[in-house]
Amino acid sequence: MPEVGVGERLKTVVVGYGFIGRVHSERWSKIDEVKLTAVVDIVPERAREAAETYRCNAYTSLSEALDREKPDIVDICTPTYTHKQLVLEALNAHTNVVCEKPLALSLQDCREIIKAAKESGMKFMVAHCLRFFPDYSTVKRLVEGGEVGEPRIARAYRLSAKPGWATWYLNQDKSGGVIVDLAIHDVDFLRWLFADEVSRVYAQALKPRDVKAQTHAQVLLKFRKGYIAFVEASWSMPDGFPFTTYFEVAGTDGIVLLDSRASTPLTIHRRGGVEELSPVDRDGYLLELQHFARCVLEDKTPMVPGEEAVKTLEVCFAAVESSLTGEPVNLPLEEV
Amino acid sequence: MRRLRAGLISFAHMHAYSYARVLKELPNVEFVAIADDDKARGEEACRRYGVKRFYEDFREMFKREELDFVVITSENAKHHDQAVEAAENGVHILCEKPIATSLRDADDMIRRARKAGVKFQTCFVMRYSDVVLRVKELLDSGELGRLMAITATNHGKCPGGWFVDKELAGGGTIMDHTVHVADLMRWFTGSEASKVYAEMGINIRKQLTVEDNALIMLSFRNGVQASIDPSWSRPDSFPIWGDVYMELLGSDGRLMLDGFRQVVYSSNVKGGPTWVHHYWGCDVDYEMVSHFVKCITEDLEPRATGFDGRQALEIALAAYKSIEEGKPVELPLL
Repeated sequence: MPEVGVGERLKTVVVGYGFIGRVHSERWSKIDEVKLTAVVDIVPERAREAAETYRCNAYTSLSEALDREKPDIVDICTPTYTHKQLVLEALNAHTNVVCEKPLALSLQDCREIIKAAKESGMKFMVAHCLRFFPDYSTVKRLVEGGEVGEPRIARAYRLSAKPGWATWYLNQDKSGGVIVDLAIHDVDFLRWLFADEVSRVYAQALKPRDVKAQTHAQVLLKFRKGYIAFVEASWSMPDGFPFTTYFEVAGTDGIVLLDSRASTPLTIHRRGGVEELSPVDRDGYLLELQHFARCVLEDKTPMVPGEEAVKTLEVCFAAVESSLTGEPVNLPLEEV
Repeated sequence: MRRLRAGLISFAHMHAYSYARVLKELPNVEFVAIADDDKARGEEACRRYGVKRFYEDFREMFKREELDFVVITSENAKHHDQAVEAAENGVHILCEKPIATSLRDADDMIRRARKAGVKFQTCFVMRYSDVVLRVKELLDSGELGRLMAITATNHGKCPGGWFVDKELAGGGTIMDHTVHVADLMRWFTGSEASKVYAEMGINIRKQLTVEDNALIMLSFRNGVQASIDPSWSRPDSFPIWGDVYMELLGSDGRLMLDGFRQVVYSSNVKGGPTWVHHYWGCDVDYEMVSHFVKCITEDLEPRATGFDGRQALEIALAAYKSIEEGKPVELPLL
């Protein structure tokens, strides 16, 4: 592990300045323990834009950034299909790595990454941000505190318009589709909330004719303890649809639910449109990245190590399989 | 104006009280008799609604009264014999959902009503909701494009009583809460379910011998994929009874329907830290009963027939079969 003295800040490099890279860069810049020293993007203008915004260095390749910056943390925010190669390269250069979800697009790739992370001895985390979101972590706290008694049944929605910010999402081979990229949030949260593994999954998904990916999915999960859950994830909402999430869990003593539509404190009406905002500066992304920085500083195991992420992905892969075969899929999946 | 003579069988189902209220409100209906195998309950209802004659035995009611139509709001498993008796006596039938507890019973009820030439309506009250009607119009207009997916919930609290007695109810929450939204799905899609998969959870209420939570996935013949959460997953402390909630995804748009959101909130120092919701939306029970009366007087087809009741029941039964077999079930079952 790199030596970090008192008052010194962890040198952090963000790789990929797209949607999530921009979010992460902004949060890193607010974390005291960290200094965002560089942003990497294969598009030079984007790297330069980041450099100007955060007064950091710009690179178009990770190798160069690793070489020159000798970072303590590398944050992989590139499209999913590029994760493995970049994570392995960063680990190989002996940096701590946080990688955006989904970790990878096959169980084999996940296992390769996990093995490399273990062998490197560096901290490795997959950015399953929902576990850090204040609303979702409140649900977790309430359920752990016994608010619903023993959990029994849950349902979750995650509804979005077509991702207009990048084209690779709508390519099943590059993103894994709406189950692997979007439903994964609630699948992971449910595993964490229930502290249990999924034993069987059944899913239905839509793939519009003119799109190369599944864009709307309904997923039914059965957990080993017998809890059941319904997860819906969509990129099929009409343009302009406000991103909407919903979660409820009912148990032997009660129910806990959250609804993004009902918890928006700020509505702004402008000519030609309405904007609804729910600002919280110490949001899930900031808490997540700060958590990772502290794990590095204090030599602790991150909340979502690769072993956790692969279990969530396994459920998602099984759901995709079920949606294609029309049959329920039992877990764990056979080793390939 | 000749007033239609109405009878009602059993206050076992709580909806009976609302239908009875409507029977009293309608100017062209005379609410003449109540039959109930629970004497005290039936006689109390007679007093409450100013109904003159009470019968413990519904057969006796049909024998003695010249009824035009009867409302059947007994326990699910009793619907069949009562509807058959009504049909034999040439009495039109308004039957609470689910229509019956088996397809064999449902088919027999439909056949006998048809043979007797009486109207048979299943109490799918949501077809009379102004909110639902607006959705139906919107879908039929094609504004949302081709319908592709539906997600629905019909949550509730546990009603207890005979609803949790398999002999009388035919099952638990799946039997009680699947059919309303299953019916709306059939109505909206204009199609029939072709495949059903379901999972049952562990009971929320340990003392129950029927299921109280489950999740159902469906495919329709026209390709629409759907899901239903029919669970009694709301605790007794929940501020509202439950919900009828649907999300519909079309190729050109998306729609969310929350059937009972039209409420006024109140909070009272005596009630503890909670909101009370006061519903002010349309009166679906009034619309349904009055429309059924109109179907009789003007010889119209009821908006939800016995066949509609049967098709929705089949989806609930398919869910039980899927759970039993641990795999998807193809429809039709018979």
